[in-house]
Amino acid sequence: MTTAAPLLLITKDPSHPLAHLALRYARAALKDTDDANAPPLSVFFYADAAHTANRLRWQSADQLDITKAWQTLAADHQLTLPVCVSTALSRGVSDTDNSSRHGLSGDNLATSFQLVGLSELALMMQEGRRVLQF
Amino acid sequence: MKLLIQLRTPTEMASYEGCALALTLATFGHDVQLSLDASVFGLLMQPASRLHGMIQSLDLYDIPPAWLPDDVFSGWALGMLPHDVSAQLTLIPEHINAAEFAQILTF
Repeated sequence: MTTAAPLLLITKDPSHPLAHLALRYARAALKDTDDANAPPLSVFFYADAAHTANRLRWQSADQLDITKAWQTLAADHQLTLPVCVSTALSRGVSDTDNSSRHGLSGDNLATSFQLVGLSELALMMQEGRRVLQF
Repeated sequence: MKLLIQLRTPTEMASYEGCALALTLATFGHDVQLSLDASVFGLLMQPASRLHGMIQSLDLYDIPPAWLPDDVFSGWALGMLPHDVSAQLTLIPEHINAAEFAQILTF
């Protein structure tokens, strides 16, 4: 039986309903947790979900800023927000190190998000945990 | 972990990213089965596409031949593709027990 915390594999663009469902799922799962313990779930942003980590995504006031929502959740629950580096770079999302390495001007990775290799996801799944794709 | 990864989105990037995930997970010891929808056949037929190149090398990652829908279009694709690619493809079995897979991911 799998007892490890579930992994939310978010692959949809932040405008997709499933991206919002993933946020709601995470909020519900983290709602009554003790901050002293490890979060009862992990997340990984892959493919179009890498857009979530773009701090330059502008949203009109009547729309949920899903980037800020994840940042708030991460700060409140010590949740890490890993993003696949290759899918992020191919969508114009980069941090300082990768911009320097690839000769890109500027960086736009939102605070709290981290660019990581796809091997990180493989290792997270190695634990035999339940994976929910959004 | 035994996974089924379905490629359904007819864009070069989406098919590449789904297949890249399959290859990476296989490298880390996961038991991966790929399934290609007819919507990605156009990319599969292009020798310059990353999907074409990665399917060509499935056996190097110990990934079994990718499943294609059991229909006339798959037969046409198998006939048109070069042997080193078609050898990495097979028609989907008539009966599949989805419960065998711990995860089914779709791209």
